[in-house]
Amino acid sequence: MSEFDAIIVGAGPAGSSAAIKLASSGLTTLLVEKADPPGSKNVSGGIMWGNELGGVLPDWEKDAPLERYVISKGTGLLTSDSLISVDFRSRKFESRKTGYSVLRAKFDQYLANKAKSKGATLVTGVTVDGLALKDGKVAGVIQEGDEITADTVILAEGVNPRVAISSGLRPEIGDKDVAIGVKQVVKLSEATINERFNIRGNSGFAGEYVLGFLKNGVKAGGFLYTNKETISVGAVINVGTLRADNETHSFEIMDQFVNHPFISPYLEGGKMEEYSAHLVCEGGIGSVPKIYGDGYLIAGDAAGFSYSNGLIIQGINYAITSGIAAADTVIEAKSKSNFSSGMLRGYEDRLQGKYVLKDLKKFRGIEEVTWSNLAHKALPDIAEETLFNLFYEEGIPKRHLMEIVLSATKKSGVKKTDMILEAYRTMRRM
Amino acid sequence: MAIKIIVMMKQVPDAEEIFIDPVKFTLNRAQARGIINPSDENALECALKIKDQTGAEITVLSMGPPAAESAIIECMGRGADRGVLVTDRVFAAADTYATSLTLAASVKNLGEFDLIIAGESTTDSGTGHVGPGVAEFLGIDQATYCTSLHIENDALVAERDLEDGTEVVSIGLPALATVLISSNIPRRAKLRLKIDALRKGIEKWDHDTLKLPPEWVGIKGSPTVVGALKIPEERKRAAKRITVDQLGELVKELGGMGLIKTEEEEA
Amino acid sequence: MEIEEKLSVLNYKTDKGFEHITVTPDICEVCPDYFCTFACPAKCYTVMEGKLNFKYEDCVECGTCLFACSHGSVKWNNVKGGHGVKYKYG
Ligand SMILES: Cc1cc2nc3c(=O)[nH]c(=O)nc-3n(C[C@H](O)[C@H](O)[C@H](O)COP(=O)(O)OP(=O)(O)OC[C@H]3O[C@@H](n4cnc5c(N)ncnc54)[C@H](O)[C@@H]3O)c2cc1C
Ligand SMILES: Cc1cc2nc3c(=O)[nH]c(=O)nc-3n(C[C@H](O)[C@H](O)[C@H](O)COP(=O)(O)OP(=O)(O)OC[C@H]3O[C@@H](n4cnc5c(N)ncnc54)[C@H](O)[C@@H]3O)c2cc1C
Ligand code: SF4
Ligand code: SF4
Repeated sequence: MSEFDAIIVGAGPAGSSAAIKLASSGLTTLLVEKADPPGSKNVSGGIMWGNELGGVLPDWEKDAPLERYVISKGTGLLTSDSLISVDFRSRKFESRKTGYSVLRAKFDQYLANKAKSKGATLVTGVTVDGLALKDGKVAGVIQEGDEITADTVILAEGVNPRVAISSGLRPEIGDKDVAIGVKQVVKLSEATINERFNIRGNSGFAGEYVLGFLKNGVKAGGFLYTNKETISVGAVINVGTLRADNETHSFEIMDQFVNHPFISPYLEGGKMEEYSAHLVCEGGIGSVPKIYGDGYLIAGDAAGFSYSNGLIIQGINYAITSGIAAADTVIEAKSKSNFSSGMLRGYEDRLQGKYVLKDLKKFRGIEEVTWSNLAHKALPDIAEETLFNLFYEEGIPKRHLMEIVLSATKKSGVKKTDMILEAYRTMRRM
Repeated sequence: MAIKIIVMMKQVPDAEEIFIDPVKFTLNRAQARGIINPSDENALECALKIKDQTGAEITVLSMGPPAAESAIIECMGRGADRGVLVTDRVFAAADTYATSLTLAASVKNLGEFDLIIAGESTTDSGTGHVGPGVAEFLGIDQATYCTSLHIENDALVAERDLEDGTEVVSIGLPALATVLISSNIPRRAKLRLKIDALRKGIEKWDHDTLKLPPEWVGIKGSPTVVGALKIPEERKRAAKRITVDQLGELVKELGGMGLIKTEEEEA
Repeated sequence: MEIEEKLSVLNYKTDKGFEHITVTPDICEVCPDYFCTFACPAKCYTVMEGKLNFKYEDCVECGTCLFACSHGSVKWNNVKGGHGVKYKYG
């Protein structure tokens, strides 16, 4: 007899969603989190896209600590001198919310407490050291030499899953699986934020930018999100190009972004209240390990379930969906008293049915284009040159648009054939 | 029989998260999360060391709001056996006199004990009154400013850190000791013990449990009157970067300012 | 704003009894790239007088140095329960 039906390692969105579902269904559930309180080590940009939480908490929009809903979505290319951006605003987002900005310290604590109120045993401030094995099956967790047993363990440790890795359930992370995320939270009054972003009430702005001004081929994306009384601003840095350069510090990229002449006015006069850094799960389907086995399931970032195209990151929603699917699988396994790999295989089937694995499969190879030269270098330069020439009045007849584009392309130094190839690849993946 | 130890613990707002409101000049604790008062962690560690060596039954006693439960569970997760939270609106806004009195009454209500260990002071009010106050109300001996505690031949042997040295005292039980911050490295909670603590739960006591006259507790029982609050003027700090070669000069300079004694003076 | 100033705003509960990350000085001594010093977003890795200096107290546990060092010098562990960085926003 095991002490618990399920033990969940990590109270992030994946772990807490699974715990809410399991405890609501009456299974004895232990949720272990190393941070105290939960969420105090977690970082997101962060917009929670979609409505996945409704799957476990029907009233989440009423009581979750949500900052603002996205009504205005910006996408931009930043060069040293210019910003080329598209700002899409729609009243349609008022009735059909696409995403909410959240701050993880509060948000994760809310989720963990929900799990607790549904009956899960929530232990915070304790780090799980490893997995307990019995006859080659996962039989629980180990902490400071003590073994706590469960029929199933759900590993929801996030992007750097030490327990899964040290137990050989997934390989070590490498340059291609992750990006370095750095972030600052800047305090401003609600009125100032509303004015600067031209938003009202609890509507908000979410902007993502290609940082085309970086030197020596370093690639990074920037984000700028509004919260109620703070702004979240940060950068997601590609590791391979940072390594190839070996001259730029990760923390300098953050400064270059916030000091950019077209970003800094948003933050002017604000108080920098928090600096943070965290890895971003990048790999796409290429890095998804085997996500189930005898007595265990892996969910959220720990399983590589995150979608990133170098700008927008969707991880919270995937974490929640996979957490719920893992819980559903455990509930079924419990009803059949079978916790073998063959039974827990249902987890993968459940995810196939959802968009998680479908999306990841559809975007197979996304990691190749996410950090393509086209997006990060050529496109910003070409767009800047083209638009500048288009709008700049010098009293001589305008050239044909195509002519401008072609000469800008030539100036950017990218070979036409390379560009066509990358453009084709990008189109195919997006 | 294992001796009985009571550890007094207060949940305080994390000092790292308290800031001064730039407009109103008041302390803003709203955003600060609750933690175990730092020197109480050291007090608990002293108790746990005794438990490791000779065995002991440890009860954590705290007065505060319901949210302090998590701090008590954390103490049990480190090895305390029992947790009692004295919580009632009528105990709120107590000064150090009423706090000490209520805690002393709670100790009596716990029954027999051998040793009470408290922190030296808290990070939120920091009067250092409560430990000695409780000892006085109970009429037992006390050792303050301790850095380590042992039980030897039914007596408490305490090392006290005083300004001009260390003093080792031995006092008979029952006794109360207050422990200095950073006098040991507090152990971490264990998963096994925390699960057990959550299953066992804590005891919550209120006014009906202690049955103290209402005029003795809370704000009514507090003779302290706050006359005025003043923000101390900010002291200007002078930072200076020096190299190793300039150390001699610095020593001279500080000596000249009377901040340190130089060798010549001592000679 | 310097990185040191940014880090000074953070709340850490430093574990005096356990250094969750350690480096192997012998390996660092002959390091050809010092990539850790560029990758670590909390400037825990610095080179002073030709020697690598690492301080775990400022670490925000991001995990970067674990794979940024490609010479096998870094031993990386989770902090033990309740210790380390404590974000209030996240
Ligand atoms: C800079 C940045 C910006 C991002 N922006 C967005 C965004 O805008 N939108 C979006 O959807 N996603 C975003 N993401 C991604 C998102 O944060 C993740 O995908 C998401 O947090 C994954 O959730 P999770 O529950 O799998 O893991 P996590 O949220 O990482 O949770 C894992 C939890 O497990 C705990 N833990 C780990 N190991 C142990 C152990 N051994 N014992 C006990 N506890 C343990 C951790 O402390 C943590 O609380 C961003 C990420 C970063 C870094
Ligand atoms: C001038 C002044 C005015 C104040 N006015 C008010 C007021 O109006 N309203 C109000 O609510 N508070 C007020 N306080 C705070 C209140 O007096 C103290 O919070 C309380 O009495 C505890 O004192 P302390 O924090 O200084 O504890 P200390 O004496 O510094 O604590 C020493 C040790 O005693 C133990 N201990 C202390 N308190 C507890 C407890 N509650 N439970 C268990 N163990 C404990 C701990 O082991 C602690 O380490 C005021 C304080 C001062 C100095
Ligand atoms: S930690 Fe690794 S990258 Fe850094 S100096 Fe040492 S060997 Fe080089
Ligand atoms: S984990 Fe991150 S913050 Fe900590 S030392 Fe490594 S790179 Fe720096």
